[in-house]
Amino acid sequence: MTGALTTTGTPGAAPPVRRSATTVIGTSNLRKRYGAVHAVDGIDLDVRAGDVYGFLGANGSGKTTTVRMLLGLVLATEGEIELLGEPMPRAGRRVLPRVGALIENPAHYGHLSGRVNLTLLDAAGPGGDRRTRADRVSAVLEQVGLGAVGRRPVKAYSLGMRQRLGLAGALLRRPELLVLDEPTNGLDPQGIHEIRDLLLELNRTGTTVFLSSHLLAEVEQLCTRVGVLDRGRLVLQDELATLTAPTGATLVQTPRPDLVHRVLGGRVLRVDGERVVVHGADPAEVNAALVGAGVPVTGLELERPSLEEVVLAAASSSADRVDGAAGRGAGR
Amino acid sequence: MPLLRPRSALRWSLVGLLVLLLAALPSLVGRLPAADADRSAADLRAAVLASGDVAFSGYAQSAGGLTLPLTDTFTGIADLFSDRATMRTWYRSAQDWRTDVVTATGETGTHRDATGTWTWQYEDDEATRARVFPLSLPIAPDLLPSDLGRRLLSQAADDELTRTGAERIAGRDALGLRLVPADVASSVSHVDLWVDAATGVTLRVEVFGGDASAVGVVTGEPALSTGFLDVDFTEPAASVTAFTPPPGADVETDEGLPVLDGGRTPDQSPLPAELAGLPRQDVEGVERSVGVYGRGITQLVVVPIPGRFADRLRGQLDVAPGAVLDDLGVRLSAGPLGLMIATGPRGATYLLAGTVTSETLASVAGQLPTTGGRG
Amino acid sequence: MIAVELVKLFRRPRTWVTIALLNALPVLVAVLLALTDLGPRPGEGPAFLSAVLTNGNLYPLAALAIVLPLFLPIAVAVVAGDSVAGEAQGGTLRYLLARPAGRTRLLVAKLVAAFVFVLVAVVVVAAVGYVTGSVLFGVAPTGTTTFSGTTLSSQQIVVRTLLAIGYVTFSMLGVAAFALFFSTLTDSPLGATLGALAVLITSSLLFTLDAASSIAPYLPTRYWLSYVDLFRDPILWRDIVRGVGLQAVYLVVLLGASWANFTTKDVTS
Repeated sequence: MTGALTTTGTPGAAPPVRRSATTVIGTSNLRKRYGAVHAVDGIDLDVRAGDVYGFLGANGSGKTTTVRMLLGLVLATEGEIELLGEPMPRAGRRVLPRVGALIENPAHYGHLSGRVNLTLLDAAGPGGDRRTRADRVSAVLEQVGLGAVGRRPVKAYSLGMRQRLGLAGALLRRPELLVLDEPTNGLDPQGIHEIRDLLLELNRTGTTVFLSSHLLAEVEQLCTRVGVLDRGRLVLQDELATLTAPTGATLVQTPRPDLVHRVLGGRVLRVDGERVVVHGADPAEVNAALVGAGVPVTGLELERPSLEEVVLAAASSSADRVDGAAGRGAGR
Repeated sequence: MPLLRPRSALRWSLVGLLVLLLAALPSLVGRLPAADADRSAADLRAAVLASGDVAFSGYAQSAGGLTLPLTDTFTGIADLFSDRATMRTWYRSAQDWRTDVVTATGETGTHRDATGTWTWQYEDDEATRARVFPLSLPIAPDLLPSDLGRRLLSQAADDELTRTGAERIAGRDALGLRLVPADVASSVSHVDLWVDAATGVTLRVEVFGGDASAVGVVTGEPALSTGFLDVDFTEPAASVTAFTPPPGADVETDEGLPVLDGGRTPDQSPLPAELAGLPRQDVEGVERSVGVYGRGITQLVVVPIPGRFADRLRGQLDVAPGAVLDDLGVRLSAGPLGLMIATGPRGATYLLAGTVTSETLASVAGQLPTTGGRG
Repeated sequence: MIAVELVKLFRRPRTWVTIALLNALPVLVAVLLALTDLGPRPGEGPAFLSAVLTNGNLYPLAALAIVLPLFLPIAVAVVAGDSVAGEAQGGTLRYLLARPAGRTRLLVAKLVAAFVFVLVAVVVVAAVGYVTGSVLFGVAPTGTTTFSGTTLSSQQIVVRTLLAIGYVTFSMLGVAAFALFFSTLTDSPLGATLGALAVLITSSLLFTLDAASSIAPYLPTRYWLSYVDLFRDPILWRDIVRGVGLQAVYLVVLLGASWANFTTKDVTS
């Protein structure tokens, strides 16, 4: 993994990556073409230190290709990538030991035990201190809940155990950045909960987490920042708090929407069954007005868009559909 | 398919360049020019004839395109002329040499010393001692270019020889010499020889011949070609050419070929002094009943053979493609090699073999003595 | 990295099963020979086989001659073909590269592991052959006869056997290089193995064809059996030297191509 990656000099050459002091993953005009198909079409990622970044997108939107480009597995057609302040894939040998990754499914050598698998993985690259290896492997197995698994070969593991082992591999060198692709795949609800707690704990101690997923709920519960990929384009990238910030309206739950309409008149923005959206960001004031007029109010809150609404508004349609120009090979 | 990125293209072109370089190397080495020398054909022939005491060792290959239809008897000769044979040789003098025919699974070595030869056959674990016979069936060592060249040129006249340029053979400058036999009876159209300029040792021999109807003749291809691939003109050690049967091996003695041993064949009328215009040669040690006719490259051997043996040979020749059957017997041309079983009126049978045309064989058969022989 | 690859290779049951199967045929042949006392006719069958009946010393070489045309190349192609494509198919390749095990380093480690496998396989075949040979046929007290009819001391036979093992190993490296190259082209280990075997079968076939005689010296299998030339006296170095040179050229070219391909390809497995 040496040599220059970028092949600029054509129109649309990438400007340098805009980065703040805290940028952990930054890309500039990152593109990947497979023949005529643009799998990734000029995206500018900005993941900052301390983020739990949710990278959302339908299947085939280019998520996996992007993750692979970040890690130097797929070589970009155009654009630049910076990981932990260094260019990728040129500086992969320096940067990647500081990155933990779970790429699509976990993969191990089935005939070997989990412990041997982790030991071999650690020994396969730089930055894994040989003297602390056995201790780190034990610690990380404990951390993901595989401490007592013993010498069973991995082929005897359940799907959830393999997922945990994959995560253990990513955590082996206490990485500054975790790149995870669908990390809760195959886990039972209890397991999902455990992993979520583990990731939040790691994030609290300073690990930046880049989480690629198509599960909106998972991202909504874990992430602080969100990027949405649609057909190879980054259509949205912002703080989750900003995206789901109050809209300036109040949501009123009432069995008598007609009465609300009569009392507040033009302030009513929408009526949806027993839910009425009213202009005004002060629920107390709305409540006072309605209750004062004798309207029964069963619930009252500031209106916030759900992540699902945000994503659906930004992304046009599922990329699994092959609509004309989207063409073959879009499913990468 | 993704388009080739510049880095990818660079690496692949690096590999491509390497392939080109390695592939071109052998052909470049092979094109080293050969130095020609201004030497006359007669001079070169004299050099070849004088090369019998040049010591050397070498690695040679012979390839014959002659498919002799012998599947039962004389298979050794049939293989010799139809197959590719690989030989190693160490030559100290005419009475001290060794030639191994090497195969993938063993070898057959012939070691010559002052009184005879040892033949070692590895796969049979057998060593055979033989004295030197004046006339015997050809064996692989006879196809060594050094030996064959001397033999072919020994009786050639100077007006049969022309010079033909030079070539690099086995890393040496070899001067070309072409022999076109003047004899009309000869089935050989010409022989190309390449002679080492420095020592006179023949490095390659190619025999062209046979009319187009003969079996195994490909126009423009030699019927027999033999040449050195490696040759080294330092004298080999005596220990290399010497032979002692290894412990445990079978040791046999070869009494010579019964067919060519006149003592065992019935009384025959003496063969004439000339057959079809070919003079009889006086070869010392050969039984009177066996006739060797011709001159130089045009050679014919006439051997009376017992009827039982003749029948076996006939059986094979009769069914061979290209065989001519008539009152005189059965004859066949394989490249420049003619072979005939001639039957006399009273059942006397003769084996005729040599480098003569089919017509010559026929006219020889017509002139054979018709009396004698139990048949 | 190299140590990691060796651990992976030799802790894998399949590796040992392959080596065990490789030895099954020579042992079977030895048992049959010992029971029937029927050697092959001169010029037929694998080299050395006719001689082992009187001298078990030669059985390591006969065993090599038995497995060399087919079984040994298959074993080597299976292991080397699996090297990169197997990781790709199993999904572990992406983790190795993201670890990061540099691509060139990974390729070199895979290569070394394949080479070590070749060496181990050849040495085990020779060692099993030696044990089988001395148990079933005994060792001739008079020494070993060369092809040329001279007698080798036991020290000479050891040296020449070691040379033969080295030569066979080197010949097999060419197979490994073909399989490794195909292994970087595809994500299917089976495809890589079959690709390498297809090359070898083509080569063996062309070698028997007179029409292909002009390209015969360049065929990868051309000089494989030349190690028997070590048992002539004096040793016939010509084909051995050529064999080593030819394999070296194939190695350099194929490894170069593997490197050019693997270091620039997208890993999407």
